[in-house]
Amino acid sequence: MKQHNVMVVGAGVAGMKASLLLAQAGVKVHLIERESLIGGQTIKFEEVYPNMECATCMVAPIQQDVLQNEDIEVSLLSTLKKVEEKSDSYEVEIEKKARYVSLENCIGCNACFDPCPVELDNTFEENLSKKKAISVPCPGALPNVPTIDPANCLRLNGKKKDCKACQEACMFDAVDFSQKDEKVKIDVGAIIVTTGFDMFDVKPLDEYGYGKYPNVYTAMEFERLYAQNGPTEGKLVLRDDKPIKSIGIIHCIGRKELGYCSGVCCMYSAKIAQFLKHKAPDAKIHEFYRDLCIPGKSYQNFYESTRKKGVNFIRFNEIHVGKSNGNIEITCSEENGQDQKIKADMVILSPALIPGKDTETLAKILGVGLDTHGFFATQNQQLSPVITEKKGIFIAGCAEGPKDIPDSIAQAEAAVGKVLLHLQ
Amino acid sequence: MNGNIGVYVCECGPNIGEKIDIDKVLEAIASLPHVKVAKRFGLLCSNDGKKYLEDEMRKEELTHVVIAACSPRDHEQTFMTVAERAGLNPYLVQLVNIREQCAWMIPDKEAATEKAIKYIRAGISRVSLHQALTKKELEVCTDVLVIGGGISGIETALSLAGEDRKVFIVEKSEELGGKANKLSRLLPHQGSTLSLIQEKIDTLNKNAHIEVFTGSQVVDARGFLGNFEVVIQKGENAGEQEIKVGAVVVATGFDLFNPEENPAYGLGKVDNVVTSLQLEEMIKTEKVLLKNGKPPRSLALIHCVGRSEKGYCSKTCCLNILKNAHFLKDKIKDVDVTEIYRDLCLPNKADQDYYEEVEKKGVKFLRSNEIVNIKAEGGQISVEYKIDGKSKKISVDMAVLSPAMIPSADSKKIAEMLNLPLDPTGFIKEAHGMLEPIATPIEGVFAAGCSLGPKNIPESIIQAQATAGNIISSLIPGKKIKPEVKVSVVREEFCTGCQTCLSVCFYGAISFDPHKGVSVVNEAICRGCGSCVGSCPSGAIRSKHFTYTQLYREVLEALR
Repeated sequence: MKQHNVMVVGAGVAGMKASLLLAQAGVKVHLIERESLIGGQTIKFEEVYPNMECATCMVAPIQQDVLQNEDIEVSLLSTLKKVEEKSDSYEVEIEKKARYVSLENCIGCNACFDPCPVELDNTFEENLSKKKAISVPCPGALPNVPTIDPANCLRLNGKKKDCKACQEACMFDAVDFSQKDEKVKIDVGAIIVTTGFDMFDVKPLDEYGYGKYPNVYTAMEFERLYAQNGPTEGKLVLRDDKPIKSIGIIHCIGRKELGYCSGVCCMYSAKIAQFLKHKAPDAKIHEFYRDLCIPGKSYQNFYESTRKKGVNFIRFNEIHVGKSNGNIEITCSEENGQDQKIKADMVILSPALIPGKDTETLAKILGVGLDTHGFFATQNQQLSPVITEKKGIFIAGCAEGPKDIPDSIAQAEAAVGKVLLHLQ
Repeated sequence: MNGNIGVYVCECGPNIGEKIDIDKVLEAIASLPHVKVAKRFGLLCSNDGKKYLEDEMRKEELTHVVIAACSPRDHEQTFMTVAERAGLNPYLVQLVNIREQCAWMIPDKEAATEKAIKYIRAGISRVSLHQALTKKELEVCTDVLVIGGGISGIETALSLAGEDRKVFIVEKSEELGGKANKLSRLLPHQGSTLSLIQEKIDTLNKNAHIEVFTGSQVVDARGFLGNFEVVIQKGENAGEQEIKVGAVVVATGFDLFNPEENPAYGLGKVDNVVTSLQLEEMIKTEKVLLKNGKPPRSLALIHCVGRSEKGYCSKTCCLNILKNAHFLKDKIKDVDVTEIYRDLCLPNKADQDYYEEVEKKGVKFLRSNEIVNIKAEGGQISVEYKIDGKSKKISVDMAVLSPAMIPSADSKKIAEMLNLPLDPTGFIKEAHGMLEPIATPIEGVFAAGCSLGPKNIPESIIQAQATAGNIISSLIPGKKIKPEVKVSVVREEFCTGCQTCLSVCFYGAISFDPHKGVSVVNEAICRGCGSCVGSCPSGAIRSKHFTYTQLYREVLEALR
């Protein structure tokens, strides 16, 4: 086998597993990640269905293996800028943003956070908590090394050029303001795109009351609220501190607008109900769903155990979140035409999975197509589910369409198989 | 013991340096037996620190090393590598976690220091009992056995076979193609299933590196990653053949739930009640006809047959029924098609579009919670179903039942032969349902497609390709594999032959030697989890890196 390098774009579970498998085969991997940490969306979940395993604990060994593997070169804060096709390889230009903290020197003691005078919304925590201009997204982030946000750091944005609060607090000489963004060119024999998904934006939809009523949450906000390493350290506190007696979970948010079922929301919504039964055992929980899509050999059991715990499942046609007497009220019309009104102290919206925000740009750079929903298109979705029209470029995981963790990993491993054959 | 133990305490900057009185720690341990040196250093995991350690190990001629620092998760591997570079066996190094477990846990410096001393003492007494363990290297065979010649098996073989890798497919029936042979088409836009399979079989036949045994069965397979010995029973009277392979892929597919198990469905009793496979057959021959030879004017396509009985959703039926409804609407003029469903499960990105297309063709959808019964009534078939507690009825000329997918009849036998666990549904259980979707607990044995659970064709193809990805990366021509060294060993003189250990081993690493009457651990398969050690009633099994003495002495020192 010719020993070409391979680039993997996106360090979520699919990207990490693909990288490890390639490295095991003796291939040198360049793993490119836009964020300052690896792990993708999975590390935001406290537990994953159906076995309610702790997701961060499940993924941490994989993250460690990736970071410690000598054949995997991880580039963080990095994005693809240009891809040039050569006779049997691609020349890829990467833009690597400065971290301003040395990965080698920093030991992750966090001593630099407190002295920083700037406070910002923490987007990793769905803006449910604040962070400093020098920060890690959440406790346990890997690599456990903070990043300075140059747009908000007073020294780097020029508002207070002599500020060195973090640098003075660091005992390991890790803060380095002299770092610059850099462009790097890498030759690779193949590229696997594992850039994952985003969540459908519920803000523009008026009928769910998101943004209007403080106690309407998205599923991802709830995941962080529930997480031990999240903004409340796992304590279930509403935005307005009110007690929780009744909760509504609404499925299929965005399905109609997008025109597809994401295949995972029914299950993650049932998981949320199980979480709630654990943290708010006396609260009434109502799940509003359209069609139950629980396509896995052990999923029906999970759904039934959720029901047995006393969760009330209501099938709806139309649904609306409004207010009555100062309380949130969910109005839904059922299939038989009857209307139901249910009061809720907390509403959790379960949005569809959509293509990651950079998908279109990346597709243009790579010269590969998108499908009608904006996910990466494979040559033939039925028969070659990882191959693109461009030789040597492969797609895996949610970049190709909504899927759960095992399906993403299977696709990543399939892409590795194709890459290894391609490189031969 | 004879030897020199070196103890190094890492300050980890202020993390340990400020929270623990390191000088006091050094003083307390320096005089312990066999401790030659006890020193402190600023940051041992830094490049300077690693260099320092390596030099120390050589200079002081250390035989064992204790490093008191952070969690082994962070830097055990780092320090083992340093030891290896210094010419010291890496298993003679013990990392003691005085950061997370002492410095960060206990605000009181004196108490933290006391605890650190105990932990380091425990580490010293343990390391003095460590054995040098050496990684063995094993040659591997790169060839692969695929059990099952359906779409998953074919795709696996096509993704693997090449110059340096031969693939053997063993198929019990007389032809390749599996269940997909029985389907009329993939989705209407995707052409005929038969031509797809034929195309793949043609490619397969042209590949000199694939050997196919049809009408054959695997009757024995034993071994481990890189080295399996397999016996194939060829045909009826064609005898047996032995082959050697490095990996095994189970692609034994599925069977369908038999609706006759529940008399309410009327199959076999009521004329013109058929299964979806029978309808596929009629579609294939373009003869969708009633028993009386006339085309049906109305059909009910019934979803979820066997779902309640089996307890899971087979996830492919909804789309497949839509496909058949589409076809019927296209081919039979003015036909009335009604789907009786529970929940539409359309979890792939293109499914909803397809559903809408079928709906536009005038296919009706009735939701039902339960089929009450299907019976003959007035020359037609009456389908009685329940919705929201009320019974309703429709009359049709033909009723088509779509049964759930169930594990194939052979899967139990094959699982037993390969020592694979099954999950409660009877499908093969994954090594890890989330992270290792196509691996089994037995290293070197993979599974793909419906042997693991219900799946559609693209998903089966992905899994087949994924097994190929795993096998190509683990069985590399000319490259040896290094099995785990912290394994279990049986002390034969204590083994009573009760075989408790066989039942707890998740990896199938233990077998029973009937001549000696003792259990035998295959070190190439053992992963060192220790389950057998804990379960052995006579204490005959010992874990090489976690012996009773090591653990006892370690705990004793920590508590003293």
